[in-house]
Amino acid sequence: MMLQLKNANCGYGAFQAVHDLSLTMEQGKIFALLGPNGAGKSSTIMSIAGHVQLFSGSIIFDGDDISHLPARERVKRGIAVAPEGRRLFPDLTIEENLTVGGYCQSSEKEARNRDMVFALFPRLTERLKQPAGTLSGGEQQMLAIGRAMMTEPRFLMIDEVSLGLMPKMVDVCYNAIEHLKSQGVTILLVEQNTRRALEVADQVCVLESGNAVWQGAAEDARKDPALIEAFLGMAKDSAA
Amino acid sequence: MLYVELLAQGLVQGSIYALVAVGLTLVYGLLRILHVAHAGLFTLGGYIGVLVTNATGSLFLALIVSMMVVGVLGMAIYRLCYQPILDKPPYVALIASIGLFIAMEEIYRIVFGPYGISYQNPPLQSSVEILGLSLRMGEVAVGGGTLVLIGALALFSTKTRFGTVWRATVTDPDMAESFGVDIIKVRYLNFFIGSALAAVAGVMVALLNNLVEPTMGSVPSYKALAIIVLGGLGDVRGTLLAALALGVIEAFGTIYLGNYLDRDAIAFAFLILVLMVRPQGLFGRA
Repeated sequence: MMLQLKNANCGYGAFQAVHDLSLTMEQGKIFALLGPNGAGKSSTIMSIAGHVQLFSGSIIFDGDDISHLPARERVKRGIAVAPEGRRLFPDLTIEENLTVGGYCQSSEKEARNRDMVFALFPRLTERLKQPAGTLSGGEQQMLAIGRAMMTEPRFLMIDEVSLGLMPKMVDVCYNAIEHLKSQGVTILLVEQNTRRALEVADQVCVLESGNAVWQGAAEDARKDPALIEAFLGMAKDSAA
Repeated sequence: MLYVELLAQGLVQGSIYALVAVGLTLVYGLLRILHVAHAGLFTLGGYIGVLVTNATGSLFLALIVSMMVVGVLGMAIYRLCYQPILDKPPYVALIASIGLFIAMEEIYRIVFGPYGISYQNPPLQSSVEILGLSLRMGEVAVGGGTLVLIGALALFSTKTRFGTVWRATVTDPDMAESFGVDIIKVRYLNFFIGSALAAVAGVMVALLNNLVEPTMGSVPSYKALAIIVLGGLGDVRGTLLAALALGVIEAFGTIYLGNYLDRDAIAFAFLILVLMVRPQGLFGRA
């Protein structure tokens, strides 16, 4: 078991975004976190990354309690995030965003990781000197994932994988995700596009108003789509 | 010829504004604090410059000592004055900063005397002819020195790994931390560089006026605030351009509007005019 949330309560100041959430993520698997806007998905991700305050409960990574580690220590242990809204450094070029991503790596590893990012997202190599703020939505998502890959994560969290992307870009991103999985990286996805997430996921958790309303194997959800849709409260097939 | 002369004067004045304002905008970008006490460091830079020059006869040595001492003091101000109150609303830090600035002026008055001090043998007073303009060596040194320092800063922040990380941290500290950046370290660096640049400005003003007095930071303190607003808060390039623009506008303004408005009034009239049209500042993003 790679990462475990135990009765996590987290939020911002007086606002509690997630209630008593317990999750177990297996090594080398893809875990999908589904649910409507404001369900607490991004807060969950950001509390694992160390940016949202954990009121109570604990986060166990590789058997260690990391609940009280600052964000910069968590990344050194192998936790990386491509957050909501991408949060690239807009004035920095593609190249420079990747440099920041690889800040903690030796120059040897940095170069190797950079090659890996470019192999996965060749499009990024075409505009190395372009400021991230001027990229298209798809390019920004590739860069956000690439920047996270620069940390050489063993556990990668990607928020809103397909939000606002053209179908072709969604494919590129999901290919990258499957490639990372094949390399043994454990992945936590947040996705509005339920159908797409279920195609790749091994495990699923549906959040609603900060509470886990369903957890189980993606296999079960794929066999019975009505199951998840009932919990999501929306039967639309977002074919983004 | 008058125009060229005014332009040169304006750029020299603007260079000094730039050196002071860059530190202020860096602190604002990183911490969202208006660091008013920054102008107190500018004054101290001038004092150290004059004292060390008088003691050793070397202006260059004085410049280095001034930058180091003031840079370290800037870091100490961050550690002792701002870090403990960072989780309070920003006006708390602002009030602390204003208080610190007043205290610094009083300390200078007590330690160095109320009347100010001067160079015994003012350096760089000779004149040189450049492109038909007669300039004091001091003015040339101000312009040239600013160019070198800002150039070095630009190289550091774009060509080195740590410089890149620094710029990233100024735009999004939380995200930078997500990639393992120790943002406390970046803050110290930020205060060191900003304060050292202000010290250079202090030494240079002392050179141009041949006088350092306890209150010499008061006008730069509010004018630098105006400049960073003009430049788009936290934007280094915008701040540099706004500083130079303000220097030039003041130089021309004092000739053509000097009968109605004094130098500082011109600066603030310009600020108000710009903000009426572009509330985000001259170069800031909407």
